[in-house]
Amino acid sequence: MILEVLRRLAYYFRRRQFEEDLDEEMRHHAELAGRPQFGNITRWKEESRTMWGWTFVEQLMQDLRYAVRAMKNNRAFTALAALSLALGIGANTAIFSFMDAILLRSLPVNDPESLVMVNWHIRGTPYTRGRAEPNTVVYGMSGSIYEEGEASSTAAILPYPAFEVLRKSSSSVFSSVFAFRKTGRLNVSIKGQADVAGGEYVSGDYFRGLGIPPAAGRLLIGDDDRPGATAVAVVSFAFAQARFGGIANAAGASILINNVPFSVAGVTPPEFFGTLPGEAPDVYLPMHANLLLEDYPFGGPAAMYLDQNFYWLEMMGRLQPGSSRVQAQAALAGPFHQWVESTAKTEHQRADLPELRLVEGAGGLDALRRQFSRPLYVLMALVGFILAIACANVANLLLARATARRREIAVRLSMGSARSRVIRQLLTESVLLASLGGILGVFVAKWSIPFLTLLLEIDSLNVSLDWRVMSVAAGLTLATGALFGLAPALQSTRLDVMPALKEAREAGHKRRWRAPLIALQVALSFLILVAAGLFVRTLSNLQSVELGFNRENLLLFRLNARQAGHGDADIASFYTDLQKQFSAVPGVRGVSLSHEAFIAAGSSQVINVPGAPPDLSTHLLYIGPAFFSTMQIPMLLGREIEERDGPNSPEVAVVSEKFAKKNFGDENPIGRRLVMAGRTPRDMEIVGVAKEARYGGLRREVPPVVYMPYNQGAQRIVAGVTYYLRTAGDPLAYANTVRQIVHRADARVPVTSIKTQTAQIDDTISQEIAFAKLCTAFAILSLAIACIGLYGTLSYNVARRTNEIGIRMALGAQRGGVIGMILRDVLSMVLIGLAIGLPGALATSKFLGSFLYGMKPNDPLALTAAVAALLAAALAAGYAPARRASRIDPMAALRHE
Amino acid sequence: MEERTEIPPGTLYMLILKTVARIGPMHGYGIAQYIQQISEDVLRVEEGSLYPALQRMLIKGWLVADWKQSENNRRARFYRLTPAGRKQLVAELAEFDRVMGAIGKVIQPA
Repeated sequence: MILEVLRRLAYYFRRRQFEEDLDEEMRHHAELAGRPQFGNITRWKEESRTMWGWTFVEQLMQDLRYAVRAMKNNRAFTALAALSLALGIGANTAIFSFMDAILLRSLPVNDPESLVMVNWHIRGTPYTRGRAEPNTVVYGMSGSIYEEGEASSTAAILPYPAFEVLRKSSSSVFSSVFAFRKTGRLNVSIKGQADVAGGEYVSGDYFRGLGIPPAAGRLLIGDDDRPGATAVAVVSFAFAQARFGGIANAAGASILINNVPFSVAGVTPPEFFGTLPGEAPDVYLPMHANLLLEDYPFGGPAAMYLDQNFYWLEMMGRLQPGSSRVQAQAALAGPFHQWVESTAKTEHQRADLPELRLVEGAGGLDALRRQFSRPLYVLMALVGFILAIACANVANLLLARATARRREIAVRLSMGSARSRVIRQLLTESVLLASLGGILGVFVAKWSIPFLTLLLEIDSLNVSLDWRVMSVAAGLTLATGALFGLAPALQSTRLDVMPALKEAREAGHKRRWRAPLIALQVALSFLILVAAGLFVRTLSNLQSVELGFNRENLLLFRLNARQAGHGDADIASFYTDLQKQFSAVPGVRGVSLSHEAFIAAGSSQVINVPGAPPDLSTHLLYIGPAFFSTMQIPMLLGREIEERDGPNSPEVAVVSEKFAKKNFGDENPIGRRLVMAGRTPRDMEIVGVAKEARYGGLRREVPPVVYMPYNQGAQRIVAGVTYYLRTAGDPLAYANTVRQIVHRADARVPVTSIKTQTAQIDDTISQEIAFAKLCTAFAILSLAIACIGLYGTLSYNVARRTNEIGIRMALGAQRGGVIGMILRDVLSMVLIGLAIGLPGALATSKFLGSFLYGMKPNDPLALTAAVAALLAAALAAGYAPARRASRIDPMAALRHE
Repeated sequence: MEERTEIPPGTLYMLILKTVARIGPMHGYGIAQYIQQISEDVLRVEEGSLYPALQRMLIKGWLVADWKQSENNRRARFYRLTPAGRKQLVAELAEFDRVMGAIGKVIQPA
């Protein structure tokens, strides 16, 4: 059998020799037989050749050569059709690859299907701030809580005592339970090189529960996670490569984390990224190591590990073999309820207790899914439309070609070609076109994935080209190619040869297919244009939001001296000293700092006028001297915080316009007092009122804000700070000077997040920017593809009607009239498309409502712009063929056929 | 036009194999001639079926071909039997006997 295949192959590669042999053999035969002729030598050779079974391949090669030749003759149109297919396939593959990585893929751990996440569900929304009596048992929390529908909430964070309850009562359903929590930024110093890293606190069973083997050394075990244990850490594969130069060097190394010595126990495998897709921690630390690293984690160790009403830990469990998620939930609901009931102190709290819920854990935490699932579905729908438009183009191209080739096909049939052979040849052409598109599509997808990663700002997500999607998209185009290649092929080969041979070039019946295809393209392009218009308008609305401060020529960066070892005693003076040094840099017009970056700030504490009820909406910012003058926020009344407001002077505050109005109405707040309750109390005098400025982002409503000197009150509030440098000229030109100054002051303190204020604002609306850019690109793309289709159809129509137009002109029709006639064709197709697309566009814009800012979904401007863009593009596409029609020489046209 | 007798379907391979087995390496014309002579002109092998059959048998590996000098001093392709061809011949002969026996039983006068 194998030998037979080899013999056939040998034949194929030496077939010329075989042919000659056969030829000689037959001539020899004829000679011996004494006949001059050997009968139909060609036919017998053909038959002998058929025996080797290569006919199919040879015909295929023939077809392919012919198809390539046909494509070359139709170069522009082929290129455009293949290109539009490539863009369609590529965009779909790239977007789906993201969907897969974010929404669909399981964690790269052992048996992800048996993992469950511990969630809870509550009917109301817990208010944690500023109530003498919290409405639920959730008195405080650190993490995310999500609203579910109208009046219920769900979250995945729990108090530490709940973790112990679950650990004790779950042995029948879980083989392990483990907890984890993000560390926030850590200062990791390796051999004197300090840099910032992200980390995860994990309970002792984390790695065993996930079933992760070490890539080097060992991973954390139960005994590492207890107060007083030796300080060990596990680092990620990528971190070990980047910072230690290899995993072998990492295991056993000594490092400083926030100035506390740790030893690296081991390295995680390369594909492991923790439990949250999109976030890859660099360092894994035992849960209880936070007692070493955080000076005031939520009110101290007692609050963290003993407080039954402080929610902060995320948990997962691994199901025992044979037990299901439902069984596990039933088994744990009771013990959890019993515990949570014991934490309620009032009737009100008892009436709405959190209920335990186990959800699938295979995909890990769902923060990224919650953030991106809707945007990704929108993008997926848009690129799906583009693929549809591209497919319609291919269909159009093939229909046009099939029509044009009716004569050719008729000739071939009449010469004795088998019908199947003609069909095969036509199919080859369409499949070749689709394949060309598919191959180019792979490149498009490959190039657009890094671009999308950048645009969507998902750094540590492992997005790989998804071959399944690739093949689905390619299959779709192949099917399009086959369908629209085959239908006309079947039709044209069924024709009566005689009329087709006689027929000039009339083939009107194919035309009825093409106008609807164009209308479909117009309708889909319209949808995409409307979406793009809405996103662009949203972005421009956001960008023109009044900031209240000057974003130009402002450099931002972050320092955390506390993590590098500065304590309460000297941290404020360290920052003050740096501020002076930065001010001395030539070209720096002003310097200040605050505990959070202004545009991304969001801290709150109960601050109120003595005697008045606490206002939950009040937010705060700890700032350095000259904050308002540096940011160029005007003072409405009084003065700003100055250098004289220090640790040893009376406590003062500046309030925002809104705060003043809300708490004092028309009265002058200067000189009035404010008190801050809680663990870092202050008793302050209001010294100034600042004009409204965008605290905490562009989209949110600006809350009432109280600004306080960072170096007054309890010093434990001072940790990391953001510096602002108002510069002359390009702010980034000062970055190196800043690094040098900080390095000289303390080499252990890394400078992070260096960027301009403009860039930082863009970061806060990165999703909107990404959407506006992507949708604009998609809209241009779809418009271009639709115009190609329109242009092709019109050119074809004009060519077909040469005769008719010639007659009209001979009878006195003017050039302008002819142009008008063709353009009326265009308009009617576009209008039909718009009519089909309008309801869809209205539905789309309604669906997009939640993405929009500062406008109604049916924004008239966006709709009008979309219509105008479509009409302009269609007329532009139609003008060239119309002009060509008007240039027809009547005499030539009449002689034409 | 002389009358021709069609070679019964499926027996051409057997006839060629048997011929080559009996007279040794032979070219196409020789094979055709031999079959015609031995069958006393009853069986005629047309070139149109001979050469495709020879090609087919080369693929199957029943025959191999070598170029040699022929009796008229021309280069000719001589086909010779392989062990696989010999095995095939035995199988075809057995099958032929079986079928002929069966046909004989059917047409025997009662």
